[in-house]
Amino acid sequence: MDSSVHLDNVVMQFGDFTAVQQMDLKIESGEFFSFLGPSGCGKTTILNMVSGFLEPTKGAVRIGGQDMRGVPANKRPTSMIFQNLALFPLMTVAENIEFGLEVRGVSKAERRKTSDRLLELVALEGSGTKKVSELSGGQKQRIAIARALAVEPQVLLLDEPLSALDLKLRQHMRTELKEIQRKTGITFIYITHDQGEALTMSDRVAVMSAGKLQQVADPISLYKQPDTAFVASFVGENNGITGKVVSYANGEAVIDAGVLGQLVGKAHKPLNTGDTATLFIRPESLHLDSQRDCQIMTQLDEVNFEGSYLTLNSRTLDQRALSVQLGANQYQSDMVSGKELALSYSAVDAIVIAGEVGDV
Amino acid sequence: MFSQLKARFGAPLSVGVVALIAVWLIGMVILPQLLMVDYSFKPNLLPSEIGSDKDHYTLENYTTLFGNTIHLTIFFKTIWSSVLVTFLTLVVSYPLAFYLAKVATPQQAALCLLLLLIPFWINEILRTFSWYIILAYKGPLNALLLGLGLIDRPIRFLSGDGGVLIGMVYAYILFMIFPIYNAIESLDGNQIKAARNLGAGWIRTHYRVIIPHAKPGIATGCIMTFMLAAGSYAVPALLGSPGSRWFTQIIYNWFFEGGDWNQGAAYAFLLLVICIGFIGLVMKVFKVGLGDIAR
Repeated sequence: MDSSVHLDNVVMQFGDFTAVQQMDLKIESGEFFSFLGPSGCGKTTILNMVSGFLEPTKGAVRIGGQDMRGVPANKRPTSMIFQNLALFPLMTVAENIEFGLEVRGVSKAERRKTSDRLLELVALEGSGTKKVSELSGGQKQRIAIARALAVEPQVLLLDEPLSALDLKLRQHMRTELKEIQRKTGITFIYITHDQGEALTMSDRVAVMSAGKLQQVADPISLYKQPDTAFVASFVGENNGITGKVVSYANGEAVIDAGVLGQLVGKAHKPLNTGDTATLFIRPESLHLDSQRDCQIMTQLDEVNFEGSYLTLNSRTLDQRALSVQLGANQYQSDMVSGKELALSYSAVDAIVIAGEVGDV
Repeated sequence: MFSQLKARFGAPLSVGVVALIAVWLIGMVILPQLLMVDYSFKPNLLPSEIGSDKDHYTLENYTTLFGNTIHLTIFFKTIWSSVLVTFLTLVVSYPLAFYLAKVATPQQAALCLLLLLIPFWINEILRTFSWYIILAYKGPLNALLLGLGLIDRPIRFLSGDGGVLIGMVYAYILFMIFPIYNAIESLDGNQIKAARNLGAGWIRTHYRVIIPHAKPGIATGCIMTFMLAAGSYAVPALLGSPGSRWFTQIIYNWFFEGGDWNQGAAYAFLLLVICIGFIGLVMKVFKVGLGDIAR
């Protein structure tokens, strides 16, 4: 069955405010697709348009090729998991799961069968008669998933459903969600501001900022080849050094970064000499030696020990912050505030993108 | 609680406040009521007979009602009509309360609430009189309906129960709207969205999600409206016809026309007790506890 979701040139405006700028995006059938962005970037608005709680100002939402314009929320083949789960507190667990089937007029015996099967899927067999208030956070989470799956949706919409859980549970639920997606083959559209969630679970991620699509790519490409300065700084940790383009040739760019001299990096898009551009280097690509393509002198501010790795927060001569990530075994006792650090990186690990860090 | 008061206001002021409340409650609420209870169990005597053999407790005043079929009929009719008033008020108020709590923008809600409140700044008698004028045989409502061609001769709204029902629904609508509005307001909007998202139409969303949540508010509104309706005097006196006499009018007659306070007191207590019993029964049927209502 085709359960693709096509945002066909949709625009969403509230009065003068444009929540979602013109967007044309096709989410494939059976894909685990995430929208990643800071709060207020319009990602929840997209979910509301797909589910039918909002009608786009322009354009159309197509699910399985069918135009959803004028189809009310209760007639769409979508199912949503809310940020606060929104389980019905006055119903039992089984009644919650069966609600969507009750609406569709499914017989009681049939409903019971489905809820038993789903309770098994989410590993909560025999909890059907419990009250919602008797469940723990993680259990509620799974009931919300079961309730959403009971109506056999073509598309499952998830609105930051893991944000209320503690770290361990969150990581566990990530694997479970991915597992459920694999088993059911339903298209998952996942909304989050947590890049860890987006990168670990998704087939593809759309990064959004201020109602605009920044980049749509698989997690590895998003991390390795960001298209915009926003994506480079939002996805993962990154050091950005802004300067003027000196030269661009064969996918390699040189920028002039003032007192830091000329720095070299890869560039996926052509750059014009003299334009403002930013060179991004991941903390793990900076090394404590001077044997690589480019060197940067810094002074150490502080050392953060984070278990398996160390983060060195340092400053360049012109007070730009640079963070360096090292394996915990590279710790040296003379790493104290004020120490001079000579850093270097390989040009293939750095990326030059037009614009500045704050650009959206 | 007293120690909290003392800690905040000091001993003299706290004692003063508590004493004032006690005087109010005991002197102006409890004692007069007890006096009426006492009255209701005594025969109506001439002043000279007080203290004589005839001055003893009796159930006679209470049994009078059950021997008088006209009074008994009016009694049950009052209860039934009050149920009807409560139901009609609920039907009118629920959509409005839902609109105010979940649909309207804050400005729209404020405007609506203001429009609801303003008429209540006017005296109840005056408001009831204006309904009398509106509903009169040659009044503006009949004129309007005639003018629109919806009827070809005026309707007698004020004969029968129609006028009383309309007047009461209007008089008590706020007592129904506010508790329901409060209850619906506290419902998480995502609950409604979740129900819609799972395929529920509007009727089922109300019936399965919103109304169960708002049940305590609905119960509070219904109890207030019912008690006010059953104990109402002004509306039936002004808008009623001889056929729609209210039990309160009979009580009034015993007190001020029959001059029999003992009999009037007994009737008043019967109305009170039966109303409370009726409410208790209805609460049991709809599985609403006192605790739910106090929330």
